[in-house]
Amino acid sequence: MQGFINTEQQLLESLASGNRKVANQVYQQNYPIVKGWLAKNGGSESDAADLFQEAMVVLFGKAQDTGFRLTCSISTYLMAVCKHLWYKKLQKQSRDPVFLKENIGTDEDEGGIGYEDDVKVHEEREIHYDMLNAALDQVGEPCRSLLKAFYHNDKSMQEITAAFGYTNTDNAKTQKYKCLARLRKIFYSMADN
Amino acid sequence: MSINNNIWEIAEAFVAGTLSETDLKELNSRVASDIEFAAEFSESTNLLKSMKANGKQKRFRNLLSEIHESEIKNPKAKTGRRIELPAHFWRTAAVAAGVALLTSTITYTILNPSIKKNDYQYVTISREVAGLRESQKQLNQNQKKLETDIKKINQPPAAHVRFTGTGFAINNEGYFVTSNHVVEGADSIYIQDRNGEYFKANKLAFDAESDLAVLKIARKSFHFGKGEVPYTFATGKSGLGTNIFTLGYPKNDLFYSSGAISSSNGFDGNELQYTLELPVGHGQSGSPVLDEKGNVIGILTAMGGDAEANTYAVSSQALISLIHDQLSDSPIRINKTNKLHGLSREQQIEKMQAFTFSVKVYKK
Repeated sequence: MQGFINTEQQLLESLASGNRKVANQVYQQNYPIVKGWLAKNGGSESDAADLFQEAMVVLFGKAQDTGFRLTCSISTYLMAVCKHLWYKKLQKQSRDPVFLKENIGTDEDEGGIGYEDDVKVHEEREIHYDMLNAALDQVGEPCRSLLKAFYHNDKSMQEITAAFGYTNTDNAKTQKYKCLARLRKIFYSMADN
Repeated sequence: MSINNNIWEIAEAFVAGTLSETDLKELNSRVASDIEFAAEFSESTNLLKSMKANGKQKRFRNLLSEIHESEIKNPKAKTGRRIELPAHFWRTAAVAAGVALLTSTITYTILNPSIKKNDYQYVTISREVAGLRESQKQLNQNQKKLETDIKKINQPPAAHVRFTGTGFAINNEGYFVTSNHVVEGADSIYIQDRNGEYFKANKLAFDAESDLAVLKIARKSFHFGKGEVPYTFATGKSGLGTNIFTLGYPKNDLFYSSGAISSSNGFDGNELQYTLELPVGHGQSGSPVLDEKGNVIGILTAMGGDAEANTYAVSSQALISLIHDQLSDSPIRINKTNKLHGLSREQQIEKMQAFTFSVKVYKK
């Protein structure tokens, strides 16, 4: 199709920047495969969406590193991560010993992709982000909203100045720095405990 | 810029990579000489990087959910709405097409005398009729599809989770056993025989502790195969080292494996179970475990975690107790005649095939 990017590396780079068209392309190409696989392995459709999106975020996280090169196709990578995440989830759910409930035998050789480490890094990062968000919730208003507007919603300082009613962007900036200082204190005291 | 400025301003510029070379030099010398500043600066830049990356990831997650909502769940919203025609429309349309067909046939008949003079026209007309036939066929197909679509509504939604296990007959009157965890919380349970046919089953008794469930095929006077089940059920516990084998459905095909009893107690010393040295896979829960003489000594229930490659089976005694305890009102006949004794393994498997099947479970 016209306008579609075709080399995997270019796809990754665009995906890393959050390009909607590319994200959609990767989504359309791979989600049905994951959904089909999961249906045979005891997962519902909403499980499939959660699982696939988590795998996309793992890939997104990896792609943030500009030196990152995939050693396999995006599809293979996503599928491997999905399977890994799903087995992990099943393992967590089931008590010891594991029931022979579903047909979840691995049917492909997925060695050498290194997705296991990627998932581990991803999980550690998620814990880090959870802590960061918890700190953000304790920082108080207007700091919480201001930092969220700037970092989460990608608003410019001009927009924030207008939305929060500061007289000029310098005042808004000063406020932002104060908020960051407060957040740093809360976050690192949490991390130390 | 001076590094005496607000530390955040420097940290932001540093993370963004917009610090000038002289600023960087100044920063480096201060970091080297002022430990307190260095610590604060590193905390600040780390926090900024995390905030940025977390925000970016959040936006990506939102983008994914948004794509899922708009492109996967409701793709029609973008490509324009399709108007679904009610069933009666198709019927009317089919009649209309029929009338049109009739009309063109009449036209053809009327034109018939002139055809001999003009073959070209003949061909054209027949083509039109063929075209009409096609479109009527199309309409009929559409109507049929509509009807099957309506039928589909009456069936359980396909979104149900499917679990599979294995089951085997207790006798040839429709009674069978499988693992309780396979059928636990099921909306509906089906067995699929080796011809691929599905039969609905109802749960009669179960015991979570021993992980057994006894079921019966819903259809009246159902038989798994010709004649009685070929195997018998061991009433006592078999000894260590007894050679055993199992048949089950880890996937769509029947799977055979053999091994031995490695402990007369099961997981964590469970006396209802055996520990087996027997390679099995997921989907084989509920499979029969037989000794060489064709006695069912147990029912596969679980396998050990990653470290140990043990397999666990519930002893046939537990099954017999379950039937005695819970189904004493309408006793289930347990087969007493063994037809597998002395046969080769191939013959034993051949005889057992009709009585071992895949159990498919739908859960909400």
